[in-house]
Amino acid sequence: MSETGTILNVTNVRKTYTLGRVKVPVLHGVDLDVRAGEWIAVLGASGSGKSTLLHLMGGLDRPDRVKGERASISFMDREITSLGSHALDKYRARDVGFVFQFYHLLPELDVMSNVCVGGMIRHGRLGYRTNRKSIQGRASELLGRFGLGDRLGHRPAELSGGERQRVAIARALINEPRVLLADEPTGNLDQKTGDSILDTISEHRASAGLTMVMVTHDERIAARADRVIRLVDGRVQEDPGL
Amino acid sequence: MPILAMLAVMLSVATILITWSVMGGFLKTLVNSGRSLVGDVVITWPNVGFAHYEDLIERLEADPMIEGATPIIETFGLVQLPDDRIELITIKGIDPSSYGTVTNYNDTIWWKPIEEPTPKDRDRSDVRLDPELREIMSVFESNANTLTRFDPASGETQDAGVLGVEVTGLNIRTEDGIYDPRTTAFRALPDGGIERVPGFMPSGGSVGLTVLALDSKGRPVDPVTRTIPIANEFQSGIYEVDTSTLIVPLGVMQRMLRMDEARRVEIVESENPFEMERDPDTGEMRPKRREIVGVDPARATNVLVKAAKGVQVDDAQARCKEIYAEFAAAHRGDVPGPMQMENQIRTWEDLNATMINAVKKETGLVLFVFGIVSFTTVFLVLAIFWSMASEKTKDIGILRALGASTGGIAWLWIRYGTVIGLIGAVFGTALGYVIVSNINAIHDWLGRTFGLTIWDPRQYYFIEIPSEVDLSKAIIVFIVGVLTCVLGSLLPAWRSAKMDPVKALRFE
Repeated sequence: MSETGTILNVTNVRKTYTLGRVKVPVLHGVDLDVRAGEWIAVLGASGSGKSTLLHLMGGLDRPDRVKGERASISFMDREITSLGSHALDKYRARDVGFVFQFYHLLPELDVMSNVCVGGMIRHGRLGYRTNRKSIQGRASELLGRFGLGDRLGHRPAELSGGERQRVAIARALINEPRVLLADEPTGNLDQKTGDSILDTISEHRASAGLTMVMVTHDERIAARADRVIRLVDGRVQEDPGL
Repeated sequence: MPILAMLAVMLSVATILITWSVMGGFLKTLVNSGRSLVGDVVITWPNVGFAHYEDLIERLEADPMIEGATPIIETFGLVQLPDDRIELITIKGIDPSSYGTVTNYNDTIWWKPIEEPTPKDRDRSDVRLDPELREIMSVFESNANTLTRFDPASGETQDAGVLGVEVTGLNIRTEDGIYDPRTTAFRALPDGGIERVPGFMPSGGSVGLTVLALDSKGRPVDPVTRTIPIANEFQSGIYEVDTSTLIVPLGVMQRMLRMDEARRVEIVESENPFEMERDPDTGEMRPKRREIVGVDPARATNVLVKAAKGVQVDDAQARCKEIYAEFAAAHRGDVPGPMQMENQIRTWEDLNATMINAVKKETGLVLFVFGIVSFTTVFLVLAIFWSMASEKTKDIGILRALGASTGGIAWLWIRYGTVIGLIGAVFGTALGYVIVSNINAIHDWLGRTFGLTIWDPRQYYFIEIPSEVDLSKAIIVFIVGVLTCVLGSLLPAWRSAKMDPVKALRFE
């Protein structure tokens, strides 16, 4: 972490997608500082590049390289944009956790395995064998805390939307990441269930000191965050009003 | 879908294993049949033969690597069959007592009493099973073992021959794989009439045999013809042999070919060309000449050798060459030297090389064709895995988001391919083994249910479909089956590994 308490720093990041022959610029030089333990809500219209920013911060994608311009994304003063693919894989496995709008659980695996799969990837096959008990213990503990202690053997198809999202959150947290990147985690849920999910995340964040960047288009949800930023025309606008 | 891939591997493995086992079994049966009248090693000096073969046999049999040896004369002749047809025939003059110990001659004798019916003879229609014919069958068998037959007309026991069971064309092979002998045959007469002659050869049948005798220098002398009563018939399992071979006693052949022991006469013209003397044999007067009388020993063209148990044929061959060299040294000038015999001491495999190589090449060709067909399994697995990779695009994106490496994703598919390949190969090997082990029962069932006969004993020489599951072959087919699946999974694995995780997560 930097002396200023910044855990994630985004500087002058641009991203352009190519659709056939057409180039579609999405981000036009985004600058953002995320402080440790902070909950940032990213608001913006559909197609404004919210999810793209999240993917870039999570190391799933790389920003454009523009001659004469320096673009970087740093995690705890380590520039992740210059990391090799193997190091980037490790970054995703250890330092960040992803939560998606559509849960993205593996349908063939039960709840317990869906959560443990993150542990398997982080530790590798042999490492997982050694650490299996502790990983499974943590998975049980997380799922118990999220009210799914009696659903460990169920498949995703046997769960409600809210339950599935809780499983996805448990999976994102299994490796105790420093940053949780959530892409509209309640976007597919009714308000009551969405609020309950946010309560769950909030409680965990408070107890674990977790940093969270949450993409949403819902102003009401954004209001629960410590800080809200808006993506307008591919650039960040701080929104002090919320 | 993974079940489809597994089925593809299973069927491919089973198909290749069945083909290889049947072809391998066919080759083995053929080779064993080819060996049945040959022994392990053959020492040959064709046409004129070589003398002192008894000494060679004594030397061979004294060696611990050799179990036994027997002399034979092998030549060609013309045989006149009961219906007057004249055929070219291979003649083997054998010593019946020792020939049976070196070869499987006794097993090849067809007309003999049997206790159990042959595999396909379910209605026990084989005449050899008939209790009423048991006694006469025993006589036929005994005649074959001694190469003699009692002639009731003269009251004498005569030298006799044993014909290949297909030579006369009078033994009709049934769909049960047995022979139905015709009791009578017909021969056409010059006046247009037809004469009935015995058709069942061991019971009064005989053939006319003509050979070309050679002198001790190998030059043709005279054609010699003799009637040979037939004692029995044999089935070696090689069609070529069974359609054109006649076995007769060695002594008969030696006499007909003038290879028996004989006086050696050297003629020296007298100083007085008009001097006469009386021939002591005939009593007639002849021009006087000086005779140096010696003995030309009897000759044989081949000595068949059986290796002792546990001795490799090649080792026995090498030992035979050494023993022959000692033998040639002891009879220098009378027998061919070791250098001349270098390529004349051959194993049964060398002798049957043409036949064995033909079947081996055929097996190779069939395997190659089936291999190509089975190679399509690679593409089938590839197509199935490709489709699965497309279906699992989002899951791949999830795993990448969780930190899975490109190598890890690729390995996931390869491991999946390996597991499916292993399961498919295990089931395929098991299926192949079960089918090969029961191939004749399955074939019979197909015949009964659908009237489908693939292996007809009337056309194929072996009654049943020969097959043998060889462990090493099964292992090779198993490994190839697994590799097929692994190979098919490589491209989808590479494609999955190279997938952009963001695009994968957005995949609908």
